[in-house]
Amino acid sequence: MNVLNIRNVTKTFGDFAAVDNMSLSVREGEIFGFLGANGAGKSTTIHMVSSLLKATKGEIEVLGKNIAKHPRFAKSNIGIVPQDLAIYEQLTAYENVQFFAGLYGLRGSLLKERTEEALEFVGLGDKAKSFPKSFSGGMKRRLNIACAIAHRPKLIIMDEPTVGIDPHSRNYILQSVLKLNEMGCTIIYTSHYMEEVEEICTRIAIVDHGKIIAEGTKEQLKSIVTDTKEIWIGVRSESNISVEKLKNVPGVVSVRIEDGQIKLQSKAEVNNLNEVIQQLIQDNADIRSVEEQAPNLESVFLTLTGRNLRD
Amino acid sequence: MWKDWLWLVRKNLALILRDKKSGFLHVGLPLAGVLLSMLIYGSANSGTLHIGIVNEDKGSKVAEDAVQYLAQLQKVKVTVLENDEMRTEIENGSIDSGIVFPSGFSEKLKNGEAPSADIVSIQGAQVTAYVSSMLNNYLGNVAAIAKTSEGDSARFDRLYEEFTGSGYAVNVESLQDISGKKDITYQAIGFLLLFMLTSSFSLTEIMQKERQDRTFLRMMSSPVSSRTYVFSNVAVNAIVLIVQIVLTLVFMKFVLGIDSGVPFGQLAGILFLFSLAAIGLSLLIVSLSTSNAASGALSTLIITPTCLLSGCFFPMDIMPDAVRRISTFLPQHWLLDSLGKLQSGDAGSGLMLNLAILVAFAAAFALIAAYRLSRKDNTRQYV
Repeated sequence: MNVLNIRNVTKTFGDFAAVDNMSLSVREGEIFGFLGANGAGKSTTIHMVSSLLKATKGEIEVLGKNIAKHPRFAKSNIGIVPQDLAIYEQLTAYENVQFFAGLYGLRGSLLKERTEEALEFVGLGDKAKSFPKSFSGGMKRRLNIACAIAHRPKLIIMDEPTVGIDPHSRNYILQSVLKLNEMGCTIIYTSHYMEEVEEICTRIAIVDHGKIIAEGTKEQLKSIVTDTKEIWIGVRSESNISVEKLKNVPGVVSVRIEDGQIKLQSKAEVNNLNEVIQQLIQDNADIRSVEEQAPNLESVFLTLTGRNLRD
Repeated sequence: MWKDWLWLVRKNLALILRDKKSGFLHVGLPLAGVLLSMLIYGSANSGTLHIGIVNEDKGSKVAEDAVQYLAQLQKVKVTVLENDEMRTEIENGSIDSGIVFPSGFSEKLKNGEAPSADIVSIQGAQVTAYVSSMLNNYLGNVAAIAKTSEGDSARFDRLYEEFTGSGYAVNVESLQDISGKKDITYQAIGFLLLFMLTSSFSLTEIMQKERQDRTFLRMMSSPVSSRTYVFSNVAVNAIVLIVQIVLTLVFMKFVLGIDSGVPFGQLAGILFLFSLAAIGLSLLIVSLSTSNAASGALSTLIITPTCLLSGCFFPMDIMPDAVRRISTFLPQHWLLDSLGKLQSGDAGSGLMLNLAILVAFAAAFALIAAYRLSRKDNTRQYV
């Protein structure tokens, strides 16, 4: 059964089409990755699914019901974890979760039980009476999640839930997503971090200029990339390296430098490794490793959109 | 729907009660306004007139009796001074006016000449009129005796003795001067209107803040409708303003003992109608603004100048005609005008028209705000 069906949906703002005739289905029990650069149409799609925006054209169904006709039903079954923190600093962690859960009609002992359960789930059970101003960024993110899950939604939409937090909290959140999925929740997950999407998502859609340009499992998407290869070159010093000169090497599609690694995408049929290394030697780069990477989501995204996800 | 509404009202009240500044803003400032108006108008009508008298006609019975006559007047306190002392006392405000009985005063009076006591004051006729009138009346009687005596000193003394010895019954009734109380009430209510507008805007601004901190987005993704959300804010706004009105009026009446001249319920009622206009206006300000900074600037531009123009800070009597005409376009004017009508016992059609105008202001502001807010929800302002 599909938890979400998006059929030929368009959303325009004046002449600008933020979402352009998009169709998409999310099946029950999936962790669905929604990838796209800034302005690709992800947030607009999410806001239409959560009834915050009305589609200009097309139809959206949540659990088989059209959200335009049954907005209350759709909203009751969706939990949103917004990209920005949406919590009250003046309320305690418990009061925050209690308030947002109460908006879904929970009251009395059930509300208390679900509030405590949500806080325990995100590891803030012992911080229930604390105010968010005393929390770290990661704890606030976890509270942001607790506020979205206390009413036990069937579909949880997480928009960049790990932005700007420490690795420990990020790992905690990723494990929480997997656990929620095991508990029966369907999850739509957007992130700028490809490795997160690769780690937890069962199916992925790549959106660009308001359209789905690829959709499938990780393996299906990676199989799209047959004409490019990715080479990672480890260097001790990256200060003298000229990215422009590397880009001018025949066959090189893109170059980026991250954490002492030169990550280079090149056309698969061009054998240009010698020229690349020669260029690096000219730039006095102290090479310590060279390895060819198997295709990953980053290279898939780059191949399909011509740019990096974080551009 | 009602449960959602109550849930949101509860949350907003919790946020307001947690905020220490809000207690000061919603309750402290209106009470301070009442105290300020007490300070401004409270001493204007204390009622007792302080007079200094210099008697240069020493040994004269007529002058001595004139001093005694003034001393026994109600609401008059007499201090006998020397000439130099009197000028100093007048200058430093210890006495309101001074009277000088010059040397030879009683002799001139006995000879039928016009009384010539000098009355000195720097506060003008409003202070000297009462004493001058009473003294002239007294001296006029003495002059009449002198005229009847036709220069016969023994006859004058006899007649004068009879005049001062004879008593005649006068019933004295003191009428309460309530103009001072009215002034204090007017000023206190003027300040209250300013603080009601400020409070209302501050409470409506919560919606703007919730848009900015994204909690609004989270609420709108729940089954709660935007209409319920706005109504909950209006309800909280009305609750706080009612508490503000009641506390201020209770403070005025029962703590400071200021009798507004209007029954408590009527005064609270017209102020509640004004609170609807205040809520409508603050909704309008927020609906016209795209950020906290913009709405803050707009409220400053609207609230203080309109209060100034409509007579919240100064009585309208001292305003130029042009300002009076402008003030008729402002809800504060109609509330203050209604207060004046109630104080003067005019509860007729004029008052009803004023109240209808207040309701019309509230409705017009709310309708424009509703239109603007609905347009806002269709845009990506919160996306």
